[in-house]
Amino acid sequence: MITLRENEYRLLQSLASAKDPVLVAQLASELQLDQSLVLAAAATLEERGLLARQEQRFDEYRIDALGRQHAQHGLPEREVVKGLRAAGGASTIPELPQHCSLDPGQVGQCLRFLVAKGWAVRRGKELELTQAGRDLSDHPMADERLIRALSGGELLTSEQLIAAGNDLDAAAKLLKGRKGVYKVKQRSRRYLEATDAGRGAAPSATLRRQVNLLTGEMLADGSWRHVDFRPYDMSLATEPAFPGKVHPFRRVLEQTRTVFLEMGFQEIVSPFVESGFWDFDALFQPQDHPAREMQDTFYVERPASCELPPADVVERVRRTHEDGGDTGGMGWGYRWSEELARKPVLRTHTTAATIRALADDPTAPRKVFCVGKVFRRETVDYKHLPVFYQVDGIIIDEQASFARLLGTLRAFYTKMGFEKFEFRPAFFPYTEPSVEVFVWLESKADWVEMGGAGVFRPEVTRPFGCDVPVLAWGLGLERIAMFRYGLTDIRQIYVADLQWLKEAELCR
Amino acid sequence: MPVVGIPVKLLAERLDEALSADTLVEHLQHIGCDVEGFATLRRFKCERCGNIVEITATVDPPVLCRRCGVDYGERADLLVDLGPIEVIRMELLAVRPDMFDPGGLARTLRGYLGQQSGQPEYDLGPVAAEVVVDPAMATAACPRPAIACAVVKNVVLDDDFIKELMNLQENLHWALGRDRKHASIGVYDLAATNGHSYRYRPVGPHELRFVPLGYDPADPDAAVTPQQVLDTHPKGVEFARLLAGFRAYPLLHDSDGAVLSMPPIINSEGTRVTDDSTSFFIDVTGTSRRLVSRALNVLVTSLMELQPSISVQQVAIRYGDERVLTPDFSPQHIQLGVSATSRWLGIPLDTPALVELLVRMGHDVQVQGPDQLLVMAPAYRNDLMHPVDVMEDAAIAYGYHNIEPSLVPTMTVGGERPVETLSGTARTCLSGLGWMEVMTLVLSSEQKAYDALRRPRSSQHVSLAHPISRDQTLLRTSLAAGLLETLTVNGHNEYPQRIFELGETTELVPGDTGALERRAVGGAAIGERMGVTEARAAAEAVLRELGYGIRTRGAELPSYLPGRAAVILAIQGDETIAVGELGELHPEVLEAFKLRHPAAIFEIDLTTLTGLR
Repeated sequence: MITLRENEYRLLQSLASAKDPVLVAQLASELQLDQSLVLAAAATLEERGLLARQEQRFDEYRIDALGRQHAQHGLPEREVVKGLRAAGGASTIPELPQHCSLDPGQVGQCLRFLVAKGWAVRRGKELELTQAGRDLSDHPMADERLIRALSGGELLTSEQLIAAGNDLDAAAKLLKGRKGVYKVKQRSRRYLEATDAGRGAAPSATLRRQVNLLTGEMLADGSWRHVDFRPYDMSLATEPAFPGKVHPFRRVLEQTRTVFLEMGFQEIVSPFVESGFWDFDALFQPQDHPAREMQDTFYVERPASCELPPADVVERVRRTHEDGGDTGGMGWGYRWSEELARKPVLRTHTTAATIRALADDPTAPRKVFCVGKVFRRETVDYKHLPVFYQVDGIIIDEQASFARLLGTLRAFYTKMGFEKFEFRPAFFPYTEPSVEVFVWLESKADWVEMGGAGVFRPEVTRPFGCDVPVLAWGLGLERIAMFRYGLTDIRQIYVADLQWLKEAELCR
Repeated sequence: MPVVGIPVKLLAERLDEALSADTLVEHLQHIGCDVEGFATLRRFKCERCGNIVEITATVDPPVLCRRCGVDYGERADLLVDLGPIEVIRMELLAVRPDMFDPGGLARTLRGYLGQQSGQPEYDLGPVAAEVVVDPAMATAACPRPAIACAVVKNVVLDDDFIKELMNLQENLHWALGRDRKHASIGVYDLAATNGHSYRYRPVGPHELRFVPLGYDPADPDAAVTPQQVLDTHPKGVEFARLLAGFRAYPLLHDSDGAVLSMPPIINSEGTRVTDDSTSFFIDVTGTSRRLVSRALNVLVTSLMELQPSISVQQVAIRYGDERVLTPDFSPQHIQLGVSATSRWLGIPLDTPALVELLVRMGHDVQVQGPDQLLVMAPAYRNDLMHPVDVMEDAAIAYGYHNIEPSLVPTMTVGGERPVETLSGTARTCLSGLGWMEVMTLVLSSEQKAYDALRRPRSSQHVSLAHPISRDQTLLRTSLAAGLLETLTVNGHNEYPQRIFELGETTELVPGDTGALERRAVGGAAIGERMGVTEARAAAEAVLRELGYGIRTRGAELPSYLPGRAAVILAIQGDETIAVGELGELHPEVLEAFKLRHPAAIFEIDLTTLTGLR
């Protein structure tokens, strides 16, 4: 007893019930299978000696362009014979067109066939009918019969043509040298026939189905054991799939937060609308500092005014600005205005958050950070937005020092994936010493400025009762995202193309 | 920050050894200069007024003189090409005006490189002149009380010197003067004045006439009153705001009545420095004696560096009975602890090491005790307000690149804000549903935040006093407009689209600054068949994953199709609170945002939900 897969089974049953060999095409239509599947099943059965394949070769004829003309107008050499007869049996070649319907070109082209068929002879410019030409009947010859047989335009096999009385060899001989009359293609017909073994095995053969999908039903009834699963082409591509994703810049922000959390920093927050006091004055930024001008800073119309911290704190800040107070410095030497300190602005840096935290609790040791939006009055272009992110942090510690600030910055940028940094002197009104961090960017082959840092001046910390060094930094974050994702326009972050959001790999 | 071009030749010839370009840039960066690179400039001189301009190779030569206004189209002979000049371009460091010019910069470099030790000595000649300051200069009618002056003799006026003087004057106006407001500088031909006796006093708007710089003295109408200067002279018009509120105007003239200038606006034509001048009278006027004195010190010492052969003499300034001599090069005394410095910087330093560093930064130092130094800082430094400023000098001399970075050894426990933990959960939930996170600007406008969303206008938002664009006039109170704007720009991408944002909204809250942020989560789904069920399912998922149940109560809300909007209620235990809204957007809203498919949104206020900001 043999076990067969579905196509093989059906093929064998079909062949076993037929007496004669069956055409593959006919089997395909009977079994409602593609021919290639019939042949694939046949190959398996043949290997097992259950069927035999036969092949019959034949020619397939079809009329061609010139043949179509000849079918309509007759062969031109017959016209010439008619013309010569009309001219009394002979004529010069140039005069021939006067006696028949051919133009001189057509006459010229058919002369060799006229002579080859023995209907005329040529003597110089003269052409004269032979006896055969004179006796030529209207009865078509083999070539003309073939042309006529094909003139309907359909494909005809050599068997069909011979059966219709054509002498294909004779026609081919007569038409030798004439191109474009008809086309011949060599074809073959494939037949399948059950062998005796196949006929014997067919009645007892059992079927093993081949299936595409494994179903729950098959698992439930165990029928998966009796079927084959059709193999797939495992090299084929599939439709790309994208997960819902966290925004690429958010990933940078989250990484930044993680880095500071890992280093033992407490996360803090402060409002977007900030008083001049916390944004500038508390940081010892003089009230006529260019950064406070309306040109650069968003002033707020509503709310109209801010509250200030307790009077003694305000007083210490005032004196620090005016003459240094008890900070050990000499101050800026101008009259400080409380009114300017009350003016609300959109915070220009997250240092407003860290100085508030310092004022709330200046007790060492303390480490806090804030990742947040800051605002500058910038016209939108590829490099600038009026809102962007910063990370600010401070370390309040007896053992804090400038060298330890540099170490903290190095730790941060290392964790963010940068390998080479440089620390260069800089100036900020509220830190001393001050430093700017540059990272080396291989893609630009240059140093790129990333942010500023320093040790808070005593003029910043003392008015809030802090007597230990305070390390502080404010670092830009959009730049990191732009380098990481190869962005050339900062607006791509906030006016995002969804295709980009889909495609920006999570690993970057 | 303005960018200055320091001529390489002038800098190099003031250093003891030749430096390669790379080494020079490195040293400059180490002392705090923001170097942009090298460039070749072309110099042109106006033969009529002596003004020199420098332009980059890509710019066309000037067609007008910016100082005297002559048109070179008509008088091509007055424009002289002085040829190319190689410069180092760097951003001005506002706090170090003593490094704005090749003389001052070379002075700092020489010290830093050990070619010069401690403070350079600048000789001052005997008092050459007196300026009497009218006490009325300190009154509200004309509040510009401070003046500092110097007399400079034996000047050789070559083009380099003139150009550096002009640049320095301009840059000091920017850095110390805040565009002449706090300090303005005048340089005059000493020989055009009586040379010994001057008056600085307020004059009435039409009290007298003088010929301002740029006017032709041969012109009978050239002499004008101070008020006419402000009203008609180009510099007067440009700087008139500096005298806004003044009822009288500052004037400097000699005791014979020859006007030198009307500070801080313009000099007189008659005292203009010409190619033949060999002596200057210099004044700095302003609001603070400390500042004008410093500005004068910076200017005069830099000129002495640029041309060591000049001689400088003091001027006595008489403020009533008080007599002050300027320039005053006496050093600023600052007490500095050695161990305090070492601790502040985190650099191991003993007394000799610290002294060596300070001396390289141009300070003279006296060791006063085992741990105590007296630093005598040069009079041209304007940035030393506290001992920490001197500590920074020591750090720069040591070299930031030589400092061994380390970490604070103290253990502290970190922690994130609770609202961030919640936001993280919401983010995980929505991205898990296949929604894409977006980030949008918190600045919005009435048009977008109210009109486009069919929401009635309100004043319950933070509004900007001087918005920079019509699109950004307020801080958003809802995430909806930003989400829909994101959909607008993504019309070319595949649909359906599902996006969300976790971000701040700002509300007016009495107390402190008057406004506070809330944390909200919002989502939008757009495409055929994207309706309320999509939005509700997502909102429910967020609330569920945060530990809340959800109920939605149909409501008529302006942004949505009638009958397809709801208030979102969060449920926990017995408590039910309204935390947001959702709905299918009204077609008018879709039209306002140019959206061509149905869309639904939801927004949940996490701050309301949890009480956490």
